Amino acid sequence: MPGHKLYPRATVKKIVKAHSNCSVSKNADVMIFLDYMLFMQNLVKEASIEAKKGGERGITARSVKKVTADSLAKFKG
Amino acid sequence: MARESRPLDATPRAASADPVSNFRRSLLQTPGSQRRPQGLSASGRKNAPPTATPHARAAFRTIDSRRAAIFTPHRARRKSVREARDSPRDLLLGLGRILAKRTEPIVTSSSSPGDTPNHNPSDDDDSHETTLGPFHMSYDDDDEADIPKRPRLSLPIDRDDDSGSDDLVPHRSMLLDNEDNFTMQSVEMPRRAYSEGPGGRLSLNSTRMSDFFNTNDMLHSEDFGRESGMFPPINVVEEEGTFTMADIMSPERIEDGRRDTGHESDFGIHVPVDLDDQTSFVINPDVQSSPVRQPPDFDEPDFAPLEDARSDSYDGGDGMDNHNFDDFGDLPDAEMDDEEPDNTLNETTRMTAGNVTETEVLTHAQRAELRAAAAARKKRINISKHGIQYPSLPTGVVKRLAQNFAKTSGAKGRITPDAMNAIMQASEWFFEQLGEDLEAYSKHAGRNTINESDVITLMRRQRQINPQTTPFALASRHLPRELLQDLRMPPPVLSKKRRKASEGAVPAGEKDESVT
Repeated sequence: MPGHKLYPRATVKKIVKAHSNCSVSKNADVMIFLDYMLFMQNLVKEASIEAKKGGERGITARSVKKVTADSLAKFKG
Repeated sequence: MARESRPLDATPRAASADPVSNFRRSLLQTPGSQRRPQGLSASGRKNAPPTATPHARAAFRTIDSRRAAIFTPHRARRKSVREARDSPRDLLLGLGRILAKRTEPIVTSSSSPGDTPNHNPSDDDDSHETTLGPFHMSYDDDDEADIPKRPRLSLPIDRDDDSGSDDLVPHRSMLLDNEDNFTMQSVEMPRRAYSEGPGGRLSLNSTRMSDFFNTNDMLHSEDFGRESGMFPPINVVEEEGTFTMADIMSPERIEDGRRDTGHESDFGIHVPVDLDDQTSFVINPDVQSSPVRQPPDFDEPDFAPLEDARSDSYDGGDGMDNHNFDDFGDLPDAEMDDEEPDNTLNETTRMTAGNVTETEVLTHAQRAELRAAAAARKKRINISKHGIQYPSLPTGVVKRLAQNFAKTSGAKGRITPDAMNAIMQASEWFFEQLGEDLEAYSKHAGRNTINESDVITLMRRQRQINPQTTPFALASRHLPRELLQDLRMPPPVLSKKRRKASEGAVPAGEKDESVT
């Protein structure tokens, strides 16, 4: 993480712009990506819990899919 | 029971100081007579005129009991209270004795054990009890000819054992009335349950309701009311005869009846109503998740962007389909089901179908993902609901994030490609949801630009930011230094943010106003 560029800022801006049909202010994408990181954290954490519950080794597609709806609902503004 | 024998008590009252003497006399006399003398001595007031009528005597007894309750020391008072507590049991015992008269074996068995438990809590001296027991039995044997007297015998002996039992006698009489009420209440409970039981009435009520609403304007409503026979009050009113009253009252009373039924049978009525809501609420996520995946899988071949279709269909579950229909001609057919989330029937049917076919769907989805993954390796172009093309987040970034978080969350960092695809989908959906939310916030603030304030409002509504966790803390925890510096770049804005975040919940409108 430290060595890399964390994320392509332009890409995030484009994505949000396309979905919201709004322009994104200069540094808002940082906060947006921060929110996305929190979402990912939640998603992965829940998925790993679900995987453990299901007796799976690592995080699998099943566990992620099972958890996706909940974590998305949690991050619904 | 004891009252009948009371007039005989006049002579023994004065002499009855010792329980032993009482017992001997009790052998010769009726047991009820012995209690009184004790009771009189125990209660503060000694004068209950023997010539008084039974009602007056009962009144004296109540007064005496009250005085005794006031003046008796704590220990005796506790006893009296205990008796009060035990009184329902005593009632049952007495009832059992009365009922047991007719069957001989039960009489002996019930009387003997019934005596001992009564003695144990209430008696001061155990020796008296032991001595009393055999006497008691002898009584029963002697009096077998007189069946009705047996319960009297057993009861008086219990009272004889208690030195302060005289107070208790009136207590029982007092308590009997009260307890009758209690028993009546206790009896009413099942009645309510029965009334609830025909909870079918609820549905009937609803139908009646509709009938009445339809016929409120019409005079025919009365007839419906009579037919349905909804509640006694209506019928009573009608019987009383004024149809005008009935006309006026019927709709109101029906409404009242509804409300009353609602109050009375809280469980009955509310449960089904809530169940509908609950099913809708609880089921929703499943409904969203499972059926949502079906349509895109079948429709995917038509569309190059796989994830778009899925994301759109997923949001369709939320009820935001309208835009999707505009963009995608083919999807609406598959998503018609999603268009009506309000109908519980559809949801339930979907639920069952979704649960049954969920595994199959997943397999389909996985296959489709594999297919899509191959396509996704190439440069993919997604189209948002606004018709704007946008790139997808690079997989490497997402994977790095996911692996980091997986490590921190305790799982191994390894994430299968299938899981990676699922995470990519989830992030796609997340960004679409986030874009819509941010759009709503910025539009609400009258802006056409998404500000950091909007994002912070969103995060606060997501409960990621609260008085304990400031956005800056989150950022410093997760973001590298360069991005943090970018965040700090506009000092005024950020200071405002931080202050507000630390102050706690600030209404979004306020904040937006201040920012603009």
